[in-house]
Amino acid sequence: MRTVDYRLLDLGAARIAVTSQIPAFQAQLDFIYGHRDEAPVDGFADVRVALRPGSRWHVWGRQVDLWSEGLRPFEPYPLHSALPLFEWGSNWLLAQRLNAYLLLHAGVLARGDHALILPAAPGSGKSTLTCALHLAGWRFLSDEFGVVDPESGHVHPLLKPAALKNRSIDVIGSLPGTVLGPIFPKTRKGDVSHFVPSKASVADRHRTATPRLVIFPRFRDGAPLRSTPLSTAETAMRLGLNSFNYRSLGPVGFHAVARLARSVKACELEYGDLGAAIDHIEHLFVGFA
Amino acid sequence: MRPQLRAELELLLRGTREPLCIDTAQWDRVLRLARMTGLHGRLAAANEGNHSVPEPVRRHLVSASRIAAFNARMLLGELDALASVLRDAAFPVIALKGGAYALQGGRMANGRFASDVDLLVPNAHLRPVEQRLRAAGWVAAPLDAYDERYYRDWSHETPPMRFPGRVLELDLHHAITPVTGTLGFDARPLFDASVPVPGSAFRVLSPEDQVLHACVHCFHDGDLALRVREIVDIDALLRCFLRREGFAERLVARAGQLGLRRPLWYGLRFAGAWLGTPTAQGMLERIGSPGAISRRLMEWSAPHAMLPSDPDFPPPTAVRLARTAMLARYHRLRMPLPMLVPHLARKTALRMRARLLRPAEEPSRKGQP
Repeated sequence: MRTVDYRLLDLGAARIAVTSQIPAFQAQLDFIYGHRDEAPVDGFADVRVALRPGSRWHVWGRQVDLWSEGLRPFEPYPLHSALPLFEWGSNWLLAQRLNAYLLLHAGVLARGDHALILPAAPGSGKSTLTCALHLAGWRFLSDEFGVVDPESGHVHPLLKPAALKNRSIDVIGSLPGTVLGPIFPKTRKGDVSHFVPSKASVADRHRTATPRLVIFPRFRDGAPLRSTPLSTAETAMRLGLNSFNYRSLGPVGFHAVARLARSVKACELEYGDLGAAIDHIEHLFVGFA
Repeated sequence: MRPQLRAELELLLRGTREPLCIDTAQWDRVLRLARMTGLHGRLAAANEGNHSVPEPVRRHLVSASRIAAFNARMLLGELDALASVLRDAAFPVIALKGGAYALQGGRMANGRFASDVDLLVPNAHLRPVEQRLRAAGWVAAPLDAYDERYYRDWSHETPPMRFPGRVLELDLHHAITPVTGTLGFDARPLFDASVPVPGSAFRVLSPEDQVLHACVHCFHDGDLALRVREIVDIDALLRCFLRREGFAERLVARAGQLGLRRPLWYGLRFAGAWLGTPTAQGMLERIGSPGAISRRLMEWSAPHAMLPSDPDFPPPTAVRLARTAMLARYHRLRMPLPMLVPHLARKTALRMRARLLRPAEEPSRKGQP
């Protein structure tokens, strides 16, 4: 009987096992998910996927399918876009399965063990700000999922690359120290490139942090910096709205959100200049770490 | 089927009833098989408080039981909302399947995912009930004239409705079998035997009819693909009702009355084989088996179609063949050939058109991972 060789990616709060015979995709994985040590012995994975090339004779050129548990839950991508399909598909599967945690749609960074959470709707500049803060010395915990343990109140790292889109590829690409994967032009979300977090952040992927500051960022071209403090109730409401599973967690979600809102300082931050936003965040964080 | 996969399936089916004591690698496989078949909620319910479960697995069981709890809240909430509209109805309204299990409480509903709410009302009241619900805010999915006619004239249910912003769909039935199919029968005896649920505006089918409906739904109202959870339902219902004196005899007699011996035979056959349902063997002998050809076809196809294949690989050819055969059987049972051929031709043409028009870049969900 055939067996499958999975590559186990330890992200911190979750593990993804992936297998593929597509050489270009394997090389991209090496680059994006490099410097991780050997797989843990028990071999458990939260998500297991295979990326398999589709039929050679497809009308629009060869495609790639993401297989999960013997099914293809998504439409195929063009063969050269296996990495965006893997990133998008595995995020979707993680969001279905990690309901042991409150999952915020948020970037998460830390100074030591003190966390900054940036919950935001798509298009508000969350990924750009997360990457820029990381390049300015903050520990990278996650760009997509704010993984909050309802029992401890701590936030867990989930170290996947940040998917930068369109203009933010140039903005972050021009900063010193940036490591970006290849650019995939014209995907469903426009041009996409993957930002690789630092080796030190990857090494700390099992180190949880205590939430201290929550900022709801909103980038607007040319806007002056405007920081508005939020009440606990307002913060709780917005955390719920920026969560993947607040509704399905029911009372567990309510208590997790209320506890988080009570334990942090929170504000809404509108900005047009990345540097000014970072300075302001550093200023707000003084006293925590 | 590979012996290892067979053993893992046995673990899965046992794990939906009682706690498992297995290692992390085995749990990894069992969890994946459970997700493929929608049994992860039941697995989580049966293993709650099982201290032998390794930590990363426990997180997935917690996750599954939270989603099952959410599903149960949505289901009971929808029934509540429906009750407020239908409370003063002068005719019986029967909750079927998931809704009935939730109303009756107990183990049947534990960890079971319901995808919709099914209500059975007398045929004469179907339209008025539908109009009443629309007036109260339920909205039907937009259908073209053909699909509308399909539901109205050939099916046993209305087009699905949904209250805007809520998760679960509502199907109104006036029968439990398609009116154009070979098993079609008048639903009046089902209403006559139905029983009220204390403290609820709804009634449920009699215990015998609940088992028969689960069998009909499984073997005559779907393509069987990965539907082993319906056999788990049948087994759980039987284990619950067999404690009542004389239940097996009444069940067999009722199947004869309603002309549902064949679906009951299949249900008992596979529940007995896969889950060791008590007394299934004895009842099978009393019902009498279907003809040799039907029986052989089903005994080869059902395991391939209903049980999950190895999660590491795309389904093998035998599985795909069995699923296609069962899909063909489903359509064949649903309507006579002169109706079926144009129906399928139309569906195929529409599907091909959609494939040609959809840009390759556009991903959309097409299944439940």
